[in-house]
Amino acid sequence: MTTIFGVPSAVLFGQLLLGLVNGAFYAMLSLGLAVIFGMMNIVNFAHGAQYMMGAMLAWLLFNFLGIGYWSALVIAPLSVGLMGIAVERFLLRRLYGLDHLYGMLLTFGLALMAQGALSNWFGSSGQPYAIPAELAGGRNLGFMFLPNYRAWVLAASLVVCLGTWYVVERTRLGAYLRAATENPMLVQAFGIRVPRMIMLTYGAGVALAAMAGVLAAPVYQVSPSMGADLLIVVFAVVVIGGMGSIMGSIVTGFLVGLIEGLTKAFYPELSSTVVFLVMAVVLMLRPAGLFGSRLDNAGGPHEAPAEAPSSSPRTQMVLVVTLAASLIVAPLVIYPGFMMKAMIFALFASAFNLIAGYGRLVSFGHAMFLGSAGYVCGHAAKVWGLTPELAILTGTATAALLGLVSGWLAIRRSGIYFAMVTLAFAQMIYFVALQAPFTGGENGLQGVPRGMLFGWIDLSNPVNLYVFVTVIFLGGFVLIMRLVDSPFGRVLRAISNHEARAQSLGFEIDHYKCVAFTLSAALAGLAGSTKAIVTQIASLTDAHWSMSGEVLLMTFLGGVGTLLGPVIGAFVVVAMQNYLAGLGQWVAVIHGLIFAVCVLAFRRGIVGEAAAWWRRRKPHGAGPVPAPVQAASGK
Amino acid sequence: MAEIAEHIKDPRFVLQTRNLTRQFDGFFAVKNVNFRLARDSVHAVIGPNGAGKTTLFNLLTKHLAPTDGAILHEGEDVTRLKMPAMAKRGVVRSFQISAVFAGLTVQENVEVALLRSSGIAWSVLGRISKRSGVTERAAALLRRFGLAEHAATMAGNLSYGRKRVLELATTLALEPKVLLLDEPMAGLGREDIGRVTALIQEARQGRTVLLVEHNMNVVAQLADTITVMVRGEILAEGPYDEVAANPDVIAAYTGRAHG
Repeated sequence: MTTIFGVPSAVLFGQLLLGLVNGAFYAMLSLGLAVIFGMMNIVNFAHGAQYMMGAMLAWLLFNFLGIGYWSALVIAPLSVGLMGIAVERFLLRRLYGLDHLYGMLLTFGLALMAQGALSNWFGSSGQPYAIPAELAGGRNLGFMFLPNYRAWVLAASLVVCLGTWYVVERTRLGAYLRAATENPMLVQAFGIRVPRMIMLTYGAGVALAAMAGVLAAPVYQVSPSMGADLLIVVFAVVVIGGMGSIMGSIVTGFLVGLIEGLTKAFYPELSSTVVFLVMAVVLMLRPAGLFGSRLDNAGGPHEAPAEAPSSSPRTQMVLVVTLAASLIVAPLVIYPGFMMKAMIFALFASAFNLIAGYGRLVSFGHAMFLGSAGYVCGHAAKVWGLTPELAILTGTATAALLGLVSGWLAIRRSGIYFAMVTLAFAQMIYFVALQAPFTGGENGLQGVPRGMLFGWIDLSNPVNLYVFVTVIFLGGFVLIMRLVDSPFGRVLRAISNHEARAQSLGFEIDHYKCVAFTLSAALAGLAGSTKAIVTQIASLTDAHWSMSGEVLLMTFLGGVGTLLGPVIGAFVVVAMQNYLAGLGQWVAVIHGLIFAVCVLAFRRGIVGEAAAWWRRRKPHGAGPVPAPVQAASGK
Repeated sequence: MAEIAEHIKDPRFVLQTRNLTRQFDGFFAVKNVNFRLARDSVHAVIGPNGAGKTTLFNLLTKHLAPTDGAILHEGEDVTRLKMPAMAKRGVVRSFQISAVFAGLTVQENVEVALLRSSGIAWSVLGRISKRSGVTERAAALLRRFGLAEHAATMAGNLSYGRKRVLELATTLALEPKVLLLDEPMAGLGREDIGRVTALIQEARQGRTVLLVEHNMNVVAQLADTITVMVRGEILAEGPYDEVAANPDVIAAYTGRAHG
């Protein structure tokens, strides 16, 4: 048998084919994302769920109604596309004119709901879906074996991709679409009904995802979670290619698939992370992406008043003392284990709020700091035998370092791209945690000792532990409070208001953003380290993307850009998880629902809405109120 | 590069360009422009729409990178420097669409600029009020610009005219040596125009001012030198009366609806 660089050629070509098939799905999904984004400026976080729904629907049609593959290939995209149209008509439409972030959050919430509900009904394990009889078998090409179904997927995806490209770039309909992207008012004046066009575009993009799902059903296992992980890779593809061009999405999709295939053949350990490494390199060398012509609107001003006012030192003192007093009294009536968990998440959410609320950089990857700090802290305490304070310090420093590196790369993009880049980096860290020798893989790092604080305070004593966690939480909270109020915090808020103006005043905005991101990462790491000591385990859940979603939920529910908001949001979400633990996957549905309600009706969060209500009651007394992030007027 | 610098080094000029060019997809927005900004003068760039004034302005303020050519500040090549570095050299710009930090109060807006110039912007844990008189200096500036009563207002809630005044106050808080103003009168009513003109008159003391402006009354009132641009190139340069009498300039402007 011939070998190429020590790899048997049949294996190499097999992996390359597999890579191309994966690439076909990346291309189809990133294409749909690009079409939707181009038209509506929405990053469709539900794209993975819609792909999954296509596959699930095909599986359901076959198993419950006996309807086969070829009919499903038509029925599933049509039905999921119709659902997409309903989503646009009744939900997304309410968000136009607001910051693009809200569209992303809403679609994320919808994805959680779809995924949670389907897991609940059909279980989360993968289901097989048979290859249609017409495409069974395969042929021997001499140098490799080519299964017919894979050949069909490649051919079908090429037709779909090139067809979409042709419609958008070469037809009159496509010309209207592109014109409406540039100037919707003008196109509306020509007598074209732009809202309807937007609705149909979203429907078409969604249908495309569902069709990819049906094509994928016989290749991968059909499961409610099949879309989520794929979507993150697709985001990385989008960042690599640049969202600007349709052809760019197609080429990048196949290219990334090939690179993955090659890596699988030569260095399989790296195959799940290579996409993200490529993304990092592209961000370094060509931040706009391979096919992106320009960077996203970096300097757009936010017109409306936003952000919290700085409160007086006396108010802050009262706040901290009240908080401390209630935390000390709480264990008398509330289970201390719950309190400690809630405080840790409150610190995590406050750290996230530092960058998302005051720096307006909404990270979708903060789980990487919580998770990695937990692993390192746990390892330091368990294997190196460090005392808890040193272990926590090690974990926190690790998160800070990770924050510095990922932040340095991620701040090259802003807005929704920033969210996608951070999400992709976090996924890379997740895979590292899954595979690294010291993390314990699926089982997690168990049996982390609590140890003796400074060598003489026994943390296995519950009172000591409670006081320890309270001190860390309050310390972190006060630190964040001071940060927000400091000259640095003021500059950060100014930058988030108007980047170009801040630059023109002589501020190197990237330095400020990077430092803020690192500080946020370090504090998230402090929370993660403390969590490892308290729960005595560091696990994959803390590094998973759903954790990044949870911290977003806590912060937005409580009130982004307010000091107390993330704390209250964290307590509410943790309480909910405790009391609803028996509901299984329904918790994800409830999370998704809260996301949707927050985004649609409740954008200031609990604390923000309360402050607004208070201010309406006494119009002269109180200071300004944080308002929802408004659309950047630049685009 | 060294040869270029030798050739146009001239201490009378604060900013100079040498064959400055900017292309957009093959279209020359600014083409081989040799522009000189004399020290302590007020210099206006005018021209019909699409003449390249704003592109020239954005090149000088580092909002855009040139395709070709060089920019010199105080005899040094600054073509590759970025906007913050220019601000630190004392060259500060304003924006056409008034640029204030909408989510900060009026007082806080001015303080941000003062934090930078007093070098404490990187203090992570300090408080602003106790520091090196930033609060007091901001309050004094607001009084000078007639904004004192709005100190606690969110800048985003100010009227358009006041936003422009605030922007000027914030810019001057840095005590720039060169002030670059992008259409300072755009969108202002008559009363505000009078006020802002007076503020610029006051601000020009000891400074060099470059402005892009459409309002010819303001240009006539303020500018010592006027540069007329057409189709990316300099058509004429000189004092207002001389330029206004230039037949080429009249030809370029006739037939166009321009105020």
